[in-house]
Amino acid sequence: MDKRTAKSFFFSADRRTHLPRDEIQDERLGKTEQGRGRSGGVLGSEKWRGRWIERWFRSPNGSNSVFPHQWQWRIPVSAAIEPSPPPSPSLSSVSTANSLPDFLSSPAMDMAIDSAPNGDASPAAAPAAQAAPTSTARLAQLAESLKLEHQLVRVPLEHLKKTIRFDYRLAEREFTAVLSSVAEAADSLDSSSVDETLKQLSSLVTRLQGLKRKLEEGGKLENLQVQRCRARLEHLRSVADADKLDDWKDARLNRILVDYLLRMSYYDSAQKLAETGNIQELVDLDVFIEAKRVIESLRNKDVVPALIWCAENKARLKKSKSKLEFQLRLQEFIELVRANEHMKAIFYARRYLAPWAATNMKEMQRVVTTLAFRHNTECSVYKVLFEPTQWDYLVEQFKQEFCRLFGMTNEPLLNIYLQAGLTALKTPLCYKEACSKEDPLSQEGFRKLAEPLPFSKFHHSKLVCYISKKLMDHENPPLVLPNGHVYSTKALEEMAQQNDGKITCPRTGEVCNFNELVKAFIS
Amino acid sequence: MELDLIQDAFDRVSKKQKLSSSKTQQLVRQIEHEIEQAIMKMQSTENATSCPELKQILADLKNKLNEFSPMNQLETLQKDLNITLGKYVKVTEKSFNPDISKAYRNVDFDPHIVNQIIASHFYRQGLFDLGDCFISEANEPEAAALKTPFLEMYGILESMRRRNLELALNWASSHSEWLAQNGSNLELKLHQLQFVEILQNDSVQNALSYVRKHLAPNASAHKVEIPKLMGCLVWSGKLHKSPYADLLSPNHWEKLADEFMQQFCSCLGQSYQSPLSIAIAAGIHGLPTLLKLESVMAVKKQEWQAMKQLPVPIDLSKDFQFHSIFVCPVLREQGSDENPPMLMPCGHVLSKQSIVKLSKSSTRPFKCPYCPLEASVAQCRQLHF
Repeated sequence: MDKRTAKSFFFSADRRTHLPRDEIQDERLGKTEQGRGRSGGVLGSEKWRGRWIERWFRSPNGSNSVFPHQWQWRIPVSAAIEPSPPPSPSLSSVSTANSLPDFLSSPAMDMAIDSAPNGDASPAAAPAAQAAPTSTARLAQLAESLKLEHQLVRVPLEHLKKTIRFDYRLAEREFTAVLSSVAEAADSLDSSSVDETLKQLSSLVTRLQGLKRKLEEGGKLENLQVQRCRARLEHLRSVADADKLDDWKDARLNRILVDYLLRMSYYDSAQKLAETGNIQELVDLDVFIEAKRVIESLRNKDVVPALIWCAENKARLKKSKSKLEFQLRLQEFIELVRANEHMKAIFYARRYLAPWAATNMKEMQRVVTTLAFRHNTECSVYKVLFEPTQWDYLVEQFKQEFCRLFGMTNEPLLNIYLQAGLTALKTPLCYKEACSKEDPLSQEGFRKLAEPLPFSKFHHSKLVCYISKKLMDHENPPLVLPNGHVYSTKALEEMAQQNDGKITCPRTGEVCNFNELVKAFIS
Repeated sequence: MELDLIQDAFDRVSKKQKLSSSKTQQLVRQIEHEIEQAIMKMQSTENATSCPELKQILADLKNKLNEFSPMNQLETLQKDLNITLGKYVKVTEKSFNPDISKAYRNVDFDPHIVNQIIASHFYRQGLFDLGDCFISEANEPEAAALKTPFLEMYGILESMRRRNLELALNWASSHSEWLAQNGSNLELKLHQLQFVEILQNDSVQNALSYVRKHLAPNASAHKVEIPKLMGCLVWSGKLHKSPYADLLSPNHWEKLADEFMQQFCSCLGQSYQSPLSIAIAAGIHGLPTLLKLESVMAVKKQEWQAMKQLPVPIDLSKDFQFHSIFVCPVLREQGSDENPPMLMPCGHVLSKQSIVKLSKSSTRPFKCPYCPLEASVAQCRQLHF
């Protein structure tokens, strides 16, 4: 759509503001036009201004059910991005083309979806057009936040799959053994006596009984895990219950904390917190117990449990092309070299490292060369291989593989949410002394954490009254004192009521009359 | 959020799992049964050594087992189950966002700072045992110092819960200056509540002497409340029938406890709500936006890591608004010390830079972009939010 048609489309619904939108830009660029003779200002009433449309992405299947209003979100996408994903490539405001950040593309017209009549009519439309947190918006918000809970649902499922797989392999092994045993007995009846055959067959029966027991236990465990999956889905549904929403949110915070504690291996605290918050069904304490074993052994410089774990999960580790086993073997090799058992080391390499040689030649070469050095060598390249920090590295690798296998995120949930939250809250004002103590970023620890993160951006003014700490919006407009300080109408009215119409500025102490105040219009 | 779809898929999984489990056990029983039968048959035959009958029995057993082929059945069951599981996994991956760590920037959070934040969060919630356990596990001995103020606070809250206002009154009187500075009348409210308590449980005389002792010194400041309390004296014993019955309601205690907590935290220089919970709640609000943004910017990974300011706003609710942010409608930039907001005579507000630009270096009067009123630069006043 070129500029002309866009303009006419844009202004057809809006009689009063029939001025070309780029008047401001023209002025700024130094161009003027004579004899305009217009009646209205360019940007019209603030209601109209308040309706900057922000276009959300439409998801590929076109469903926009999360946002019932036509809230649309302006995405500054440069021309380099392929046109296939979001169908609205470049939208930006003409009037601010010069000052937008670099990667905004060429100016285009804003699409005014909300074509309600402007002018003095419909003062109610203005608050509606603003981002007032109606209950629909809140529900939409909750729905969006539920979408982040993949880990909650996936982990017990993976655990269940694991148990099912284990039981299946058990049954498969036993069945094959029994069948082949029977076949063998049938064939070799001539060479062995009847008693022997009878004995063999009864041993098969005992074996099957053992299998039955194990399968029963396995079945019970599977049922528990199914129950856990179900409980979690129930929990997600319960967010719709408006009374218990605060409890739900507290439970969510506790879940995030328990996840962090488990990943940092603080198992007792995690257990305690789960009990205190009554969220045992919603956290993965049991999953981490098996990780605990392996991690503790690795900390004690013992690779055997880790190798066992790798063997148990061989197929899936292979699918994700994991090098964990290789690295564990390398470490064992280094330990052998450290103990000066070179011949053993060489045999070990032949047996266990050779299969990995094809894909990891460089790594292997580097490590095998340690044979030529002693463990207290000064040569930096090989010294680092003998450091105890190698074990910490192995622990980290194991943790990552473990989390990946169970469908968990590679970073603790706490870090993910904290980063997002700090970015959303970070403004330059947070680092000043006058920062309100209610802001988390007034605390030293949070400030340090937030330093490398980007600032958040605002497209609309959001003003907070110094006195009442409430938002100053259309219902509570800002009033300006003669000394230039601004407070909300409600707070100033209250103050005037209690003091015979006199207003004292809380910050400078100057006194003035209530009728000296001027209204300010801020979009 | 298609929770129903997910629920259905999961119900199918659960059914299949039960079926598979019970069928497997049934197979085991069948095989066992067959073998036992064969054993019984063999034992019941008369002849001792290898005889064609024994061979026949074993051959029969083998054939029977091969016939209903438990291996194949097991395999089919497992395959079915795997298919259902796979479908469920697909449904979850579609409904949920499978990888929320995509928007994570590779900045390392110092674990010490994070641990201290968590420890202070636990102490603030009153979970002192948990906090101690955490500190010992995480090896952060210096965080134990965070405990003391909150111990005090919870001690006072506990006593308030038991309707004992003594500790609270002590605290309020020792911090009365600070409270007065911040415009809080916590002390007065505590005295009021205590007065009502004394009136209920004790004699009028004691109540009167209480007022004389505590409220009389500051009588001028409490012009409205003291007459009310005096009025209560008249209805002693029948307070619930008096016009002052609302003073008896129990939620005064709760509200006062809340206010006390607020003032206490404020005095410590901390926020009323745990900062960790605010930050995480803000994160939950903002993460979907960030994920969408990241997917759009996926091509330019470098810029994602290195950006100084987000290119799009994150819409947080007004609970998270702690600062006044002024955004000039013309420039779309935030106001700062170098670019403060200016009020024009018509009542509209623009930033200084846009005014300067509009007026072309402060010579002639310019038109407000909103309304057709003209104004000159000198008439514009700087605003302080």
